Order: sequence, then structure tokens, then C-alpha cells
Amino acid sequence: MATVSAVTLRNALCQLQCRLTGVPQHAFGYVGLVSNYCQVRTKKQTKAQYKLEPDWFVNRKNRRQGKALTGDNEDFVQEVIGDTYRNQDSMLKEDPWPRQEYHRNTRRTGVVAIKLGVVPQWTKEGHKFFTTLLQVIDNHVIRYTPPEEFEKTSGWKPWWGQRFGSVVVGAMSSDPRNFSKAYNNLFTEAGVPPKKKLTRFLVTPDAAIQPGTPLTAMHFRAGDHVDVQAKTIDYGFQGVVKRWGMKGMPASHGVTKAHRKMGSTGGGGDKSGIWKGKKMPGHMGDKWRILKGLKIWRINTKYNVLYVQGPNIPGNTHGVVRIYDTILRYKRPAPDNHPPMPTWAEEDSQQGVELEYFDENLHVMSEASVSYSQ
Amino acid sequence: MATSCRSLALLRIFLAKSKPAARCIHTESKVTNSLVREKRNALFESEKQRQLSLVSRIEKIEVQYKGQPEDCTLVMNKNLSTPFNCAMHIEEVVMSRSVLALVNGEPWDMHRPLKESCQLHFMHFEDENPTLANEAFWRSCSFMLGYVLETAFKEQHYVQLCSFPVPNVRSGSFVYDADLGLEDWRPNSIELNTLSRTGFKLFFKEYRFERLKVDASVALNMFADNRFKTTQIPSIASRSESGSTVTVYRMGDHVDITGGPLISNTGQLGRFNVTAFHDIESSSYGPLTRVQGTALPVQLPMHYWSYENIIAKRAQKLNTAPVPELKQAQPLQSSAS
Repeated sequence: MATVSAVTLRNALCQLQCRLTGVPQHAFGYVGLVSNYCQVRTKKQTKAQYKLEPDWFVNRKNRRQGKALTGDNEDFVQEVIGDTYRNQDSMLKEDPWPRQEYHRNTRRTGVVAIKLGVVPQWTKEGHKFFTTLLQVIDNHVIRYTPPEEFEKTSGWKPWWGQRFGSVVVGAMSSDPRNFSKAYNNLFTEAGVPPKKKLTRFLVTPDAAIQPGTPLTAMHFRAGDHVDVQAKTIDYGFQGVVKRWGMKGMPASHGVTKAHRKMGSTGGGGDKSGIWKGKKMPGHMGDKWRILKGLKIWRINTKYNVLYVQGPNIPGNTHGVVRIYDTILRYKRPAPDNHPPMPTWAEEDSQQGVELEYFDENLHVMSEASVSYSQ
Repeated sequence: MATSCRSLALLRIFLAKSKPAARCIHTESKVTNSLVREKRNALFESEKQRQLSLVSRIEKIEVQYKGQPEDCTLVMNKNLSTPFNCAMHIEEVVMSRSVLALVNGEPWDMHRPLKESCQLHFMHFEDENPTLANEAFWRSCSFMLGYVLETAFKEQHYVQLCSFPVPNVRSGSFVYDADLGLEDWRPNSIELNTLSRTGFKLFFKEYRFERLKVDASVALNMFADNRFKTTQIPSIASRSESGSTVTVYRMGDHVDITGGPLISNTGQLGRFNVTAFHDIESSSYGPLTRVQGTALPVQLPMHYWSYENIIAKRAQKLNTAPVPELKQAQPLQSSAS
């Protein structure tokens, strides 16, 4: 009973929010603390399903591919590429930026990782649970824009005000010959090889981070909680049974050609017509979704792998995942036990970096589980 | 005074177009590259028409073609048909990608008329052995660099081209040595880019390289305003087969002396960059500027990263090809009528 009333209360709150702000309810359906889909019925204009690329994207691919080089020439060019990026200093050669203090409302940069798979882990009490391995590959900060400049760009939203600057993080270095000149020139400021994936994080000015800074799994600590954002598996055009979990109809007993259909589309009389937001077949998946407050149980520093709570990170294996400190108030660290600001640096681990870091509740297989006196 | 000079110059050009002026134009008005080029072009055109008029009868020759898509025998016109005309009968791909022809094994320009029944092959940049095509390309690029130097500078600077060395693709750059008439001038990156673009625009023009064998006297007339070429022409002529002829090529309105075969047309140019200016000293000609460049044909596309960071950078280094020196002319034989 309590669950049913909570769902209806959520629905009511959603509709109220829609009427007050004027934003269509489809936009609210997935945002915020509501974890179940909040069905909406409204006469207002629905939001477009598909968006165009943002206008600040540069053309990434070459229009024409170069001819393949012969063996020796190809080896030589790869050697030159390696030498170029190994010896490259950042164009804006300046002193390292000062490290600032962590506050209650600080937002640090995030990292970009690849989802590897799911492995089980055990707590010290013997409880089995699943963790997803997320590997942080070759992350570098590409650009930092302070709040005053960020406000003037087209990627800024008015409700952010001047609270946040933007950090562009790139993952997975690649051969510059795979990309166009415009795309390669994005990386000259940072002095890093061109990256396959770029993404943006909002940061508070006290977490400003210098372009060219590498980010690793040590950006987080075992026991921290993170929010994970990824694109869900693209199922393509799907019917209502798979997409919305409708029951369909029986396989036999006279049912004619309606085993996996919607059935009725609504009521009649005053409620006649198909209401906006009616669940119907359509494109399923390939949407950005956030999971919040996931605990990091274990960190492997050799391969930069985070063991993150849960088997349900969105997306396929080797899908790209954004990870950043959680927004949930009660899972954020206290200012006296804060994560490295703005990111981990060698001076933070003066005793040396260990191969694995474990949460205190995690059972470590290599440690003795039973101890007794002889 | 200025207007009368201009009208004189215009009158001279009109006369040059209707009847070639057989004298140097140093005397009255100031000599400029554009005037000199107009004159040269007019002389070339008239000589070309004269040589064409010598072909009175249309005789037929048999050209045996061996290659893709199939071997065939073509019946073409003697002293009129070119290997390019043969390619027009075969296939469009052969037409567009062929750089050079091999006539009885001898390298032959694509637009040079065939003299007798022969065996014909075509060469392109992706052959098993593209050496001849590469050398022709490098030679053509030096030729185009000469065009850039004569056309890119302002009117008050009179550029005199000296010569360019034997093409060496392995050196990493092609070269033209010239007297730019500028003291201690080096282009900045924007100006280098402008020079490169002046050359690359030839790609859109698709000018053919037309070959003409002229008598030494005609050549001396054409290049009367170039102090280097006037000294070179006698020695070049003396080393020719007949003893008094010089090979000149025309591309658009640019005329220059060069011996070897050039590529088919400027539409085969893929990339063109002027990369460096160096000072050199010649014992015969005095101080000269060595202008270097690098290029790629359109048949061999390359990513900008490899081209700009490896190839164009390499082409900035001084090319160690020999400095132009005047070779002694052998005694001139009697010139042809």
C-alpha cells in the first residue's frame, strides 16, 4: 500500500513540477531522484526524441583517406608520431596551478572509462555482490574554461549561473592520421596526442585543473561514492512488450494476431483520443542514464581499473562511461577526509603507490581469512 | 608621362599579339614580368602555328597499344596525333591518370605528336616502377615553381629565372634557382602560404604541358629579357641532336626551357608547397636565390599530418643539387630555316 501511494504521489509531484516550470513532463521523467519511469499525460508539446550534434562540435573525420604507405614508410611515420608526442611541451608553458581546498559544495572533474565487465566480490561478512570493472584509459585534461568565460559559450545553461567552470577531458590517445586538422588542433593547448573520446564536466573554480594533467584511477579512493553516466544498449525499434513491459495477450485460446500488441489506446467520452506520452512501440535504448551513489570497492593502479558497485552500468562491454563524485549529499566525503584536489598527484602518496586499494569492508582473497593461535 | 608610357606598353602588347615584336622591350618602358610573359607567349603561339602549317598532308600511322584494358592497334595521324589522343580512344581512366607515354621504349610527353608507327605504353604513379613518372613529376613541379616566381611578385620586382637542376626525388624537394631582384628578403609563413597557393591553383586550371622544338634564334628572341637564358641557349642548342634546336614547354601562358618529358597536365597535381628560400653563389652567374618546394600527385593522397610534419619539413633543408654553372657551348652548326 505504501509503495502504491508513493508512486502516485511522485506522479502528482511530476505533474505539478511540469505546470509550474512549463517544461514538458517528458523531460522530467528521467531526471532527478525518481528512479522509476514517471508516466506523464499532458496536452503540451512533447520534446523531440532526437537531437542534432551541438554546434561547437568540429568535423572529426577526414573527407578523403590517404593512400596506405609501404612497410618501411609506415614504421617511420609511427616512429615520428611517437617522438612528437613524447617530447611535446604544452604550448601554454606555465607553472603548475596551485592546489586549492575542498569544500562542502566542491565539484571536481570526472574521468572517462571503459566498461569491461562484471565480477563478483565478497564483503568481510561473506555477502556476495557484483561489481562492474571500469577502466580509465589514457585520460588527460584538454581544456579548462573558468565560469566567466564559460557563461558566454553556447554550451552553458542559464540555471548554472556562475557557479561552474567547464573541464574537457579526453580518453584513449590515437594516431593523428585518423582525424581531421580541425579536430587535431583541439589538443595543441594541452600538448597531448588526439583522443578518441571527449567529454565535459562541470567543476567549481576551486577544482580548476590545468590542461595536460593526466587523470588516473587514483583520482578516486576505495570507499568513495560516484555517479556513473553511460548510454544504454541500443535495442533499435522495439515493440511495447519489450519496450514498456506490457503483458500482451495469450498465445492461444482464440487470440487473433494480437499476441504482443498494445491493445487499447485509452478510454472514451471525456477521456477520448490518444493522450500525449502514450506508451507505444518505438526506438528503445541509446539514451544517457545516470546511476547515483555507487560505491568504489576496489582500485587497481596498474591497469587503472575501478571496481564499482552493481552489475547494471548502462551500455555494452567496452562502452564509454563518465564517472564523477556523487551528487548525493549523504554519500559525499567530509571536508576533513576529502579526495585529492583537483586530482591525484605523486606528492599525495609519499609512501609509494600500492598495486590494489581495497575498501575496509571488502574481503581480500590474498589475506588470511582465519587466524588462530597454535 | 606615365599615361604615355602606359599607352606605349599597351600598343606594344597589341602589336605583339598581332605580329610578334622581334626585339627586347628594355628600351622604352620599364620591363616587367607580365609584359615579358605576354611577348614570350605570343612568340610561342606563332611558332607553334608555323610548325603546324608545315604538316600539309594527313598521313596515317599504326600505333600498337599494350596495356589495360586490352591490347589494340590504333590508326592515328602522323605528326598530329598525340599519345593523349590514343588514350582518348582507349579509356577515360587511362586518359586521366597517364603521366607519360613510352613510345618504342622512349619517354614521350602525352601531348607530343607521334612521328611514325610505334609501340605505345602509358605510365602512371602507381606503376611497379614509377621512376620515370616521378622524375617527370618533379621536373614539372620545378617548371611550375618558375611560374610561381614569375607571377607572384609585384610589378616593380623583375624576377629572372636562371635554371633548375636534374630532378632528384630522393632529395626531398624540387628547386628553381633565380634572381629575384630582392635584397635579403625571406618570406614569412603567410607569404609562403600565398606562394604555395599560387602554385596549387594550377590544379584547377588543368593546363596542358605543350612541347615545342624551336630553333636557337627563336629561343633567343623569346628569352631576350632574361640574362641567364640568353647565355644558356647556345650551349643547350649545341648539345641537341640537330645542333641548333632548343626544347621549350608552355603551360597556360608560361613558357620555359627544359629538356626532359613533363607530366600530362596540371590537373594531376595533388599538393604543392613552396617551402624554403636559400642563398647560393654561382661562379658563372653570381649570387642567386634557391627556391625549394615539395609536392605530391593527386593519385597519391596523403594525410596532412604526415605531409606537413615530415615531408614539408624535410623540404625546408637546403637542397644539395649542384649550383647552376654555364657550360661551354660547342661550335654552333648552321641554324635551320
